[in-house]
Amino acid sequence: MTAVRLTLPQPYRDLDHTADVGVEVTGASAEETLARLVLAQSTLLTGGELVAPGPDARVAVASQGGLAALSVELLRELLFRFATGRVLPGACEVVRLDASAAEVVVALGPYDPVRHAEGLDLKAVTRHGARFDRVDGGWRAQVIFDI
Amino acid sequence: MKLRRIEGDLWEIEREGEMLVPGRVYSVGPPAPDDPALRQVANVAHLPGILRFSLAMPDIHWGYGFPIGGVAAVDAATGAVSPGGVGYDINCGVRVLTTGVDAETVRARLSQVVSQLFRDIPTGVGASRAIPRLSEDDLADVLAAGARWAIRRGFAASNDDAERCEEGGRLAGADPAAVSERARQRGVDQLGTLGSGNHFLEVDRVAEIYDDAAAESFGLFPGRAAVQIHSGSRGLGYQVCDEALSSLAATRTDFGEAYRALPDPQLACAPVESESGRAYLGAMQAAANFAWANRQVMTGLAVRALARALGASEREVGARLLYDVCHNVAKRETHLVDGRPRDVLVHRKGATRAFGPGDERVPATYRAVGQPVLIPGDMGRYSYVLAGTSKAMEDTFGSSCHGAGRLLSRGQALKAARGRSIARELSQRGIEVLSRGHKTLGEEMSEAYKDVADVVGVMARAGITRLVARLEPMGVIKG
Repeated sequence: MTAVRLTLPQPYRDLDHTADVGVEVTGASAEETLARLVLAQSTLLTGGELVAPGPDARVAVASQGGLAALSVELLRELLFRFATGRVLPGACEVVRLDASAAEVVVALGPYDPVRHAEGLDLKAVTRHGARFDRVDGGWRAQVIFDI
Repeated sequence: MKLRRIEGDLWEIEREGEMLVPGRVYSVGPPAPDDPALRQVANVAHLPGILRFSLAMPDIHWGYGFPIGGVAAVDAATGAVSPGGVGYDINCGVRVLTTGVDAETVRARLSQVVSQLFRDIPTGVGASRAIPRLSEDDLADVLAAGARWAIRRGFAASNDDAERCEEGGRLAGADPAAVSERARQRGVDQLGTLGSGNHFLEVDRVAEIYDDAAAESFGLFPGRAAVQIHSGSRGLGYQVCDEALSSLAATRTDFGEAYRALPDPQLACAPVESESGRAYLGAMQAAANFAWANRQVMTGLAVRALARALGASEREVGARLLYDVCHNVAKRETHLVDGRPRDVLVHRKGATRAFGPGDERVPATYRAVGQPVLIPGDMGRYSYVLAGTSKAMEDTFGSSCHGAGRLLSRGQALKAARGRSIARELSQRGIEVLSRGHKTLGEEMSEAYKDVADVVGVMARAGITRLVARLEPMGVIKG
């Protein structure tokens, strides 16, 4: 695996949902897809604005539920850090990803209440509808957030 | 799925397969058989220990596992408790404060009033520090004492606020020790903050009275100003729910065939009397107490802000808590089932308790007319104050609807709002609104919601609640 560091902005698609919000991302590899999922969460939190560079942090999660469950666990961990430390990833590099564990290096920059005023208050990353699948020519993942 | 009309706006989902009870749906117009929320009503009917019906209120929409607007009562000893039956925002709820101030007096200083409220009550993403960060001991007290903690600290409209909250503003079974360190970290600096999304603080005008005696008992008089607060347990409650869902999803199948056979893994649950069930209930009740303290702190801040903006004393403002209801909770209650009293655990997810006249659990001052039931609408139209009835006790475990329910997704609403200034449109109609984000106003505009009048109309025609008064917004703050 060649680790690739992705920075904001990255492409994602809004999933229409009556009460909450969802995102779908695609990538050439599972690692790229996971990194885009991480940055899609940041984009929702910032309202599409960039995040000032911050120090790198290594975040690792484990799950027996496959890649979809792993991605939910990773986003939950990052959302917890946002909720308690007001920091969020402006860049993400997936350094390990297999069926039961993921490890990323994220540049955690500060949340700016003025610049990021249009961001959504994501409260939880739900397991409902979480997907992480191989598709023709790459990977596709989706997650729904409770807001 | 077979749907048949029982009477009026009440429909039944016939029992089939492994459903333990039928579904009962109160509906604005005939329910659409392909509505995924109806499938969820049927799924909830599989919940171990469920009694009589899986119920849905007329503001039903799809939720995680349980529909929002769902009510399920299970046997308190042998049934199951489900975090999905409570929701992420534990004890999200509504309170209304009456005042002695004429609405026109407020209108004359409306910009100052709204600005002062917006300054004093933090809103939006990660809102925090309405009051100094809580110490560990204080947070433990909040989790145990609920609204009473805030009242002791001087955040109150009047000295009987706690009595005017559902359950006295505190669930006695709360176990602060069951609340994780992570949940505590998320809540420690959020007490007294509104949050975002559909949460709001409004200054309303009492626009119409439908029941003079009940309105007088509730302290509602035409043309007076009132304050309405909609918020919940903030990040702390979310963390409690999230952790419980993770834990119970992994262990659900340990509790026997009835749990293994549940049709939707989102219905993660555990026996009420299991270690997991008790741990969730203890933490959930502590989070509910956090929510009551949150709304109580905002009450104190709002009364002070109102007085300051009006250049009046708090005494002159004459604020008094009408009532505080929770609409995301599971509570132990006693109800008549097949003619005999039975201890049940009632899950109300997007549903409001609506106890009828004469019930000892209704504050003495309201006991002759029934419990106040507070139903917010949207920021451009109106909200309702209702009263619970004896029919609700017979038919819905003393439960009613909780709001308007969304009509448009957030994306659809933003599309419809493109090129418009929702704040200006509201201002032209005499409603001043301040929000942290511009997008919030598009997502939360009136057209995004059903007409709450239709929803409360269904409940009134079914005899579940009585209309008491309509409130119309003058000033709104949002996240």
